[in-house]
Amino acid sequence: MKIDCGHYPLMGGFDELLEAPGKPRSRADGLCDYFATLAPAELEARHRAVDAAIMAAGITFTVYSEAGNIDRAWPFDVVPRILAKSEWDRIEAGLKQRLRALNLFIDDIYHEQKIVKGGVFPADVLADSKNFRAACVGANPPFGVWAHICGTDLVRDADGTVYVLEDNLRVPSGVSYMLENRQLMKKLFPELFARYDVLPVDDYPAALYDMLAALSPREDERPEIAVLTPGIYNSAYFEHSYLAQQMGAHLVEGSDLVVLDDDCVYMKTIEGLMRLDVIYRRVDDDFIDPEVFRPDSALGVPGLMRAWKAGKVGIANAPGSGVADDKVVYAYVPKMIEYYLNEEAVLPNVPSYLCMHDDDRDYVLANLDKLVVKPANESGGYGMLVGPKSTPEERAKFAELIADNPRNYMAQPTLSLSTVPTLCEDAIEPRHVDLRPFILQSKDFYVTRGGLTRVALRRGSLVVNSSQGGGSKDTWVIGDTR
Amino acid sequence: MMLARVAENLYWMARYLERAEDTARLVNATTLMLMDMPRGASFGWEDLLKVVGLSEPFHQFYDEASESAVMSFLIQDERNPSSIFACVRHARENTRTFREVLPRESWEWVNELYLYTSTHKSSALDRRKRLEVLTEIIRRRQAVVGLLSGTMSRDEAFQFMRIGRNVERADMTSRVLDVSYAVNLPFQGGQFTDLVWMSVLHALSAHQMYRRHVGVHAKGYKVVHYLLNDSQFPRSVRHCLAELQAALGELPGDGPQRQVMSLIRALDAADGRKLAQTGLHEFCDHVQAGLGELSDAIGQAYFRAAHAQSLSQKQFNLA
Repeated sequence: MKIDCGHYPLMGGFDELLEAPGKPRSRADGLCDYFATLAPAELEARHRAVDAAIMAAGITFTVYSEAGNIDRAWPFDVVPRILAKSEWDRIEAGLKQRLRALNLFIDDIYHEQKIVKGGVFPADVLADSKNFRAACVGANPPFGVWAHICGTDLVRDADGTVYVLEDNLRVPSGVSYMLENRQLMKKLFPELFARYDVLPVDDYPAALYDMLAALSPREDERPEIAVLTPGIYNSAYFEHSYLAQQMGAHLVEGSDLVVLDDDCVYMKTIEGLMRLDVIYRRVDDDFIDPEVFRPDSALGVPGLMRAWKAGKVGIANAPGSGVADDKVVYAYVPKMIEYYLNEEAVLPNVPSYLCMHDDDRDYVLANLDKLVVKPANESGGYGMLVGPKSTPEERAKFAELIADNPRNYMAQPTLSLSTVPTLCEDAIEPRHVDLRPFILQSKDFYVTRGGLTRVALRRGSLVVNSSQGGGSKDTWVIGDTR
Repeated sequence: MMLARVAENLYWMARYLERAEDTARLVNATTLMLMDMPRGASFGWEDLLKVVGLSEPFHQFYDEASESAVMSFLIQDERNPSSIFACVRHARENTRTFREVLPRESWEWVNELYLYTSTHKSSALDRRKRLEVLTEIIRRRQAVVGLLSGTMSRDEAFQFMRIGRNVERADMTSRVLDVSYAVNLPFQGGQFTDLVWMSVLHALSAHQMYRRHVGVHAKGYKVVHYLLNDSQFPRSVRHCLAELQAALGELPGDGPQRQVMSLIRALDAADGRKLAQTGLHEFCDHVQAGLGELSDAIGQAYFRAAHAQSLSQKQFNLA
C-alpha cells in the first residue's frame, strides 16, 4: 500500500495534515511529498520492522480480561501528527497557566479555602469530592506545589479550536510512549528528520529528574529518588521501569520501603537501610499508606503520610492532588484562573453541563442523544455515554444514574475530534486523535514539546484509550522557518 | 545502593539463564553421544535426569524415562521449573523487575531469547531440529552475557549476576561429574570408557579445551582433575569459585566469602586420581551441599531485608 494524500477520504471535521484531498496544510507539504515517493513495498518493510522493534523492546501495556492479563504490543501508527511551533507556543503558555492555577487551587483547598468563601467554587462540590483527602489538610509541600506532573488532554474541534478536555493530576501515564514513538520514528524514517526541524522530546527524563530533585528535603546532597510502582502487574509497569531507568532512579515497590520512628523513609538495600528523599509515586493515593488510607493496601508504605507531612520526604504528585482531577471541578478551572491569577484562560474548556445544577441537568436529560456524559471520577474512558452512538436503553440507564447522583455526572457536546491520516488495513484513512502533553511544576515549569497523540484506530471511534483499542502517533512540533 | 529485592532478582535471573544454557549444552551433548552408541545399547535416560537432579519431579508426571518424555521435560515442560523454557521465562519475568539497572538492550535481548524459545521449543523435541534450536538458544543467551560484559559497569548489579552465574555453573559441573561416576561403573576398563569420559567433557563444552591443555585421551582421573581443579577453564569448579571470590570481594560483608574459602580448601585437598577410583560421588555431594550453604549465606547477607517482616533500626546498619 502507498500513502497517497490525493485519495484521502476526509471526514468533514478538521484534519491535522490536509485541508482537502491532495492539498496538504503547509506544514505537512514535505511529509506528503515524502510518503508519495515511498514505494509500497518499502513502506511495508519499514512497518514490519517497527512492529518487530516494538515486540522486541517489549513496549507493551497490560489489558485485563477474564481470560487473564495479556501483554499487548503498543499500537503505533507511522504517520506523524504535525503542529506548528507558533500554535504550540500559545498552547504551552495555556498549559502552564492552567497548572499554576490548579496548584494554587489545591493548596487553597487544603488550607483556608478562600475560593469557597469567596463564592467562586461551590462548597457542596468540595463536600462530595471523592478525591479530597482530609489527612492532607494543612500540609505544606515545597513551593506550595501539589500536582507536579500533569497530563492534560487536548482536543481540536471542527473549527480548529483547541480545547482542554481534562486534567490528569493523579498518576497520568503515557509519557514513555511519547518518548518511544520518537525513537521508533527516527529508526523508521531517518530521512524525514532531515527535511524537518522537529523539536526534540528526549530531554523529558532529565526535566523530570530536576523537578523531583527540587523536592528533596536534604538540599546539599545528591538526592536519592525512587519511582514507586504497584509492581509488574500494573498496566503502566513498562513506563514506571522506563522512567526509573532513564532518570537513573530506583524503582521500588511498597515492600522495599520502611518509615522509622524518625519519620524518615528508608529503602531496604543490600547494605541495610538507606534514606530516600523523593518518591515519584505511581500508586493511587488511596493505597500509599495503610495507616492513613485503605488499611488493606499491600502496595503502600505504613507511615508514608507521616513522613511526608513532617517534610522528611518529597512525594510527587502530593497526596490529595486528585481533588482537582474531577470532571466537575474541571468545569471551574477557567474561573480559578481568573480568581488566582487575574488572567483569562488561554485555552478554553469544552462547554460543560454540570448535572448538579437544575438547569444544566434538565438540558442534559433532554439531550442525551447529542451529548457525551462522563462520571466525575473515572479515568481511562470508562463509564461514559457517547450520546450519538448510544441505544435508547443506554440512555435510559444514564438518565437514572444522573437522577440518583447528579454531582457525579457532567456532560459535554459531542465534539467532532480532529483527524490525522492513519495507515489502516488497506488504505490511508482519517482517524480521530487527541493530544496529551505533560507539564511539570516544582521550582520551575517544563512542558513537553508536543506530547502523546492518541488515535482511535476504529473507524469513526472517538475513544483513544489504549485499553479500548487506541493507538498512538509521534507528535512533531516544527519550527515555522521551513 | 542496590535494593535487596533487586539484588535477589538479579542473582536468580543469572542462575536461571545459566541453568537454561547448561541444560541446552547437556542435551546437545547427549544427543550427539546417542549417535555414537552401538546400536542395541540402551541409553540411561534415568541417569541424565539424575545429572540435573530432576529424577523425582520427572516421575511425578511420567512413568517411563523415554527419550521423548525426558527431552520434553528438560526442554519445554512448564511443570518442570528447571526446563529450558521455564528458566528462560522466569529469567525474563525477573528481568522485567529490574530493567532500570541494566543497559537497555539487555531487556530486549532477554525478551528476544524468550520469544525465540517460546516459538521453537516444540521443534526441539525432534532430533533433527534439536541441535539447531538449542544452539540458537545458547547463542542468544551468550549474546546477553556478552552485551552485559561489554556495556555494563562492574557495579553491584553486575556482581550479583556474576555470583548467580557461577554458583549455578559450579553446581552443574559437579552434577555432571557425579553422574559420570555412576554411568562409568559398568564400563570400568571397557572399550567405552574413553567415549563416556569424552561425553562428560562434551556435556560441559570442555572437550576442546581439555584436548588442547591436557591431552587427546579422556582419562578418568585427568577429566576429574580438569573439571574440578583447572584454574583456567571457566566451567571448572575452581574457576567458578575464583569468580565468586572476586565478585564477593566487590560487595560488603564477609559471610559468603568464608563459605567460598572453605570450598576452595576442599578442592585443594582433592586428588583426582583417588577420586576417579572412589569417593567421587561423596565429594560431588559435598561440593553441592557447600554451594547450597553458600547460596543461603548470600541470602542472609544481602537479600534478608527483602523478606524482613518487621524491622527495627537495630537490625540494620544505618548508612
